[in-house]
Formats: sequence, structure tokens, C-alpha cells
Amino acid sequence: MGKLRFLLALWMAKLSIPALKITRHNGTDFPGALALRICPDFLRYVGKPKTIVAVTGTNGKTTVSNMLADILEGEGHRVMSNRAGSNITSGVSTAFIRNCDLFGRVKKCDMAVLEVDERASLRIFPPIKPHFVVITNLFRDSIMRNAHPYFIADILSRAIPKDATMILNADDLISSGVAKENKRVYFGIDRMDSDVQACINLIDDVRICPQCSGKLDYTFRRYHHIGQAVCRDCGFRSPEVQYLAQNVDFAAKTMTIREAGESYPYPLITDSIFNVYNMVTVTAVLRQLGFDHEKIARVLGASSVTASRHSSEKVGDVTLVRQMSKEKNALAGSRAFDYIAGREGRKELLLMMNCLGDVAHWSENACWLFDADFEFLAHESIVQIVCTGARALDYKLRLLMAGVPEEKIVVERDEFRAAEKLHFTSGDDIYQLYGTDSMALSYKVYDHMKKLALARSKEVQA
Amino acid sequence: MKVEILFPEICNLCGDGMNMRYLGQCCPELEFIETDIKSRPRFLDEDITLVYLGSTTEKGLAMIAKALTPLKDAIAAKIDGGQLFLATGNAVDVLTEAIESDQADTIEGLGLLQGKARYKMMQRHNSFFLGSFEDMEIVGFKSLFGHIHESGEAAPLFTCARGVGRDGTEGTADGFRRGGLLATHLIGPLLVLNPPLCKWLLRQMGAPDSLAFEKAALAAYEQRLKEFKEPDRPWKY
Repeated sequence: MGKLRFLLALWMAKLSIPALKITRHNGTDFPGALALRICPDFLRYVGKPKTIVAVTGTNGKTTVSNMLADILEGEGHRVMSNRAGSNITSGVSTAFIRNCDLFGRVKKCDMAVLEVDERASLRIFPPIKPHFVVITNLFRDSIMRNAHPYFIADILSRAIPKDATMILNADDLISSGVAKENKRVYFGIDRMDSDVQACINLIDDVRICPQCSGKLDYTFRRYHHIGQAVCRDCGFRSPEVQYLAQNVDFAAKTMTIREAGESYPYPLITDSIFNVYNMVTVTAVLRQLGFDHEKIARVLGASSVTASRHSSEKVGDVTLVRQMSKEKNALAGSRAFDYIAGREGRKELLLMMNCLGDVAHWSENACWLFDADFEFLAHESIVQIVCTGARALDYKLRLLMAGVPEEKIVVERDEFRAAEKLHFTSGDDIYQLYGTDSMALSYKVYDHMKKLALARSKEVQA
Repeated sequence: MKVEILFPEICNLCGDGMNMRYLGQCCPELEFIETDIKSRPRFLDEDITLVYLGSTTEKGLAMIAKALTPLKDAIAAKIDGGQLFLATGNAVDVLTEAIESDQADTIEGLGLLQGKARYKMMQRHNSFFLGSFEDMEIVGFKSLFGHIHESGEAAPLFTCARGVGRDGTEGTADGFRRGGLLATHLIGPLLVLNPPLCKWLLRQMGAPDSLAFEKAALAAYEQRLKEFKEPDRPWKY
């Protein structure tokens, strides 16, 4: 009965695909949602490719899975992925539906790289039984959905099948403790000049030993709880790293990866630590899949980091920068603020990370603002901050609490009028910070910013 | 005047830590003491003006219960004697009789407050809250794994106009008040979001009731009040 139900679900879902195409809705998760409605065990019955890599974690999972899928496809693998859809159960199911035949057999793909939402993992991992589970990191995310990272770590530990090989971040004492009984390898980044020992961030979720609650001493700390630590009381320490990035040189765009005592040269395709982690994660997965370092270095050098999160262009006399800072996510905000403060030159900022869905139907829970390190924005190189959207007044209060002088702060609720308040001073970098929810609006506002920047440039020239 | 922050290494979720930072910005004379989970709370033996306990993880709740249970009688005597003690978010739950969960063993609470918390870990409750305290309007947010049951007639902290009270039902009162203990399930920067309440607390502490960034704080508060009062705006997420 189960199998018949599965086939019915599959056929109905497959029939929906051309219908969606005709109505120009072919990017949605509808086929998967329909299949799951008819057959809740759909993922259990559908055929599986030979190798399944599941990528989860708070940050970086989209970047890592996209890079992996691109590289593996470039190397001749036929890769199933859910990049066109969502990372929840319906999105993963849709990926299977699109890649299986009418009997549910996945013949055209030899590999799957699936991005999986942490909370959805309970419904995805047990039926698909991934061979490799990658956890990029675990941080605080939405207070409302994810509560705290230990809650998510517990969900993952319950969801991950015992025979999956874990690929984990050794510099993260939360995710590195997930699925303790499973076979595991670790990636990490060696101590860097920019590392510190004491935490300078508001969010610091591993202050005490996970085993004995004793005080942890960090031998180095990169940001938040990311670093290497030892317990004063019981001797517990961060795990040994199998794939260790060393000699990270942003200027020369090079690094090395150390494995089993040998160092291998790698190109660096990013200027952010976060993306170095993503590169090392990809390297660890590819090594587990049997690629040699020389090949990985070559394909990584030819790949790029997803541009949707950060892009910049020279417009008139200024540089316009689009920087994603996921709404309702203090960690994402903190990382973006830290990055911006650390860049050279004068900056003007437009903060528009409002959750537009909540504006319309609820009232955004603003607590995350008070976990985020707005203190970075008190940096002297940031000369103006325009706060916009429904939470503009909350941004202003939080900025004042963070030490930003009031004269630098402008509040304008309308996003387009807010863009007009930016100075566009010649030579400045103008950052637009937006979230996933405000992405569509952000493009329109960005177009307006471009026009304003060009007009300001002409004024200056005249 | 001293303010003791209990267990900041584990009680720091949801932006709760900003309550004390803001209090410090309002009254720079305040001296803040941080007491870790392995140490005896100082307010039991010293003159402390305000004690603060913020939101934590479920493991954190168990650690607090273990640390404070041997001291519960002394804590009860202190709060009944008027010791100002502010607890926010799920920290309130450990002060009740027990925390029951559908995914973990029951945590025996301190029993300072009547009732038991019941958690459903995959059914997180999210809502905004509009209520009142004395002559003040209160705004805030709840993001919780559960609510309090069997709390009987225990004195609440806030009345509720929109949102849920401590038992998770619409319109019932929120939190608890016992002696100097002010316990609310509202999470995060309660004092930042509620300038009148922050002023009231400063007065209770015997501190000047001027606020840092008062104009900006009041503007954000007034806007939130207006939003929360819109009848067509649902309070439940």
C-alpha cells in the first residue's frame, strides 16, 4: 500500500511540473509539497543516488552546497541538488521528483548535494540516509524558530543516521559535538593575526566547558564562540583538525591546507574569513569524496562565491555595495557589521533589514537587534547610517546604545526616501544592508541608489 | 548601588543582557557584579540593590536548578523581604515547581512560584504582548517552548490586553510577583523596550529615574504601542 501511494504521489507530482512550467511557476516546491501530502513517507520510498552529501548549519550552507554541486558537475558527475527550491522537506522532495523516473528510480544522477534546513533535518535525514553530513557551524539564528544553537544541535543529533560520516567545524564547539557516536572528520582554520583571546561579541555561546561546566580558555578566538578552547578544570579541548587552512593571505590570495602533516597550496577566492571557512569545508568534502588536493585547488580557483550575499560596483564617484544581513538574525548582522567596519575608507550605510512579512502581518520581534554587535558600526570610518523601514526607530535606539553619535544617524521610514538621505560623498563606499525578506525591495531601492549616485556625481563634476 | 547578574555565561539569550547594559547607561553609578554558575549568589550575603536572571537554554535551566535548589529557602526569605529580583523569559520557569518537557527529563524547580512549566519542544510559541503594570503600558515579545500550568491564584506581574498570559491562553495575566521578585515571560530587552517600566525600576532601586537616549527610547516605545494596539494586527505569530 505504501509503495502504491508513493507511486501515485510521484505521478501526480510529476504531472504538476509541466503545469507549473506553463503557468511560469516552475521554481516552486509545489511538486514536493503535493507528493508529501499524498505520501508523507515519500522520501523513504524514492530512489537514492549512489552518494548523498547533505549540507546543513546556520551559515554558509547555501554557499557550500552550490560550490560543491558546481565543482562536482564540472568534474563530470551528474549531481542532484535542491538549489532551485527550498531546503525544507518539500524542496528536497522536489529535487528527487525532478531527477527520478516514473518508478521513482534515480538513474540520471550518481550524486546528490542537498542543502538541508537544520529544523527540517528530522524529516529529511532519516529517510534519505545521507552518506556524508556537513555542518558548517551552529550559531544563534531566528529566536522565534531556532531558539538557540544547542536546541538545533540536539535536533541534528537525533536526525542524523548513525552510519553517516560527519564533516564538522573543529573551531565550533557547538556543531563539533553533534552526533557524537558517528565517524567524523574536522576542518578548521589555524590561528590568524586577526584572532583574539577574549570575546568581543555580544553572542558568545560557549563560555563554559560542554562536559564539566568549567571555565574555558581560548587559545585563540576568531569571532563569537569560533576558536580553539581548553577547559581549565577537566582538560576537555577542541577536536584535532584533519583539514586545516593555514597561511591565509588575503593580499596574495593564497592559503595552504594541511592534512596528515603535509601542506598543499590553494588559491583564495574571497576576502572574508567566513568564506575561507566555506572553502575549507568544500575541500574537506571533496577530500572525503576522493579528490586529490591538486585537483581541488584547481577547481576551487576557477569557482566563485555566491554573489547574492555581497556585491559591489563603482557608480559615479562612489562604490555601491550590496551586503546581505539576514533579518531577525543577530549573528548575520554582527558578521556583516564587523566586515564593513574592517574595510578601508569612508562608508555610508542604509539599514533595511526589516522583515517585511512581519510588518504586514505581525510586528517584528526586535529582540535580535539587542544580540547583534551594532557596536562595530560606531567605527569612525562609518560617517552616516540611514535607518529605514518599520523598525527604523529601533535601529536608531540600538545604534545610540552602541555608541554611534546621534548626528550620524538618520531615520526615514520610507526606503526610497531613505536612500535620498544618503550623502553619496565622492569616494565613499555606500552599503545597502538588506535581508532575504527585503531582497526584492532592495533591488528596487538599489536601482534608485544608482540613479542618485550618478546624479550626485554629475553635480560634483558640474 | 550594586546589581548582581546571575550566571551571565549561560543566561544571555534573546538580547536579555541588554536590560542590564541599558540600566548601566541610564545610571552610570551602578556597580555590576557577575556571578557564575559555580559561585554562591552574592545577594544572599551582601547588600545588593537588584538581582537579574535572564533567558537560558534548557541545559542552563537544569544547571540553575542544581545550583540554586540548596539555597531556595534563603532565596525565598530574601525576596519575601523585598530583595529586588528581575527574571525574564524562560528563567521564570526554574523558579516554579518543575519544568516538564516532551523531549527531556523533568527539571525540579526551586518552587518559589506556584505552577509547573510544560514544554513542547517542536511547538515554539511566538507572540507579541501588550499589557499593563501599575499605570504603565507594557510591550514585549514571547518566544517560548511552553507555559505555566497549575499556577492558581499566584499574583501576576502584568495584566494582558493583547497576547497570552503565563498559562498560554489569551488575555490572562503574565508572570509572577512575590515580594521583591518581578518575573515575566517577556523575553529580551524588556527595560529598553519599556522606558516607563525602566524608570519605575530605577526609582525602586533608589536611583535617579532619568533614561539614556530617552527621546529615542520613547519614540520606539510609542511606535510599538501604536502597532500593538491596531486591532487588525494579530498578536500571534
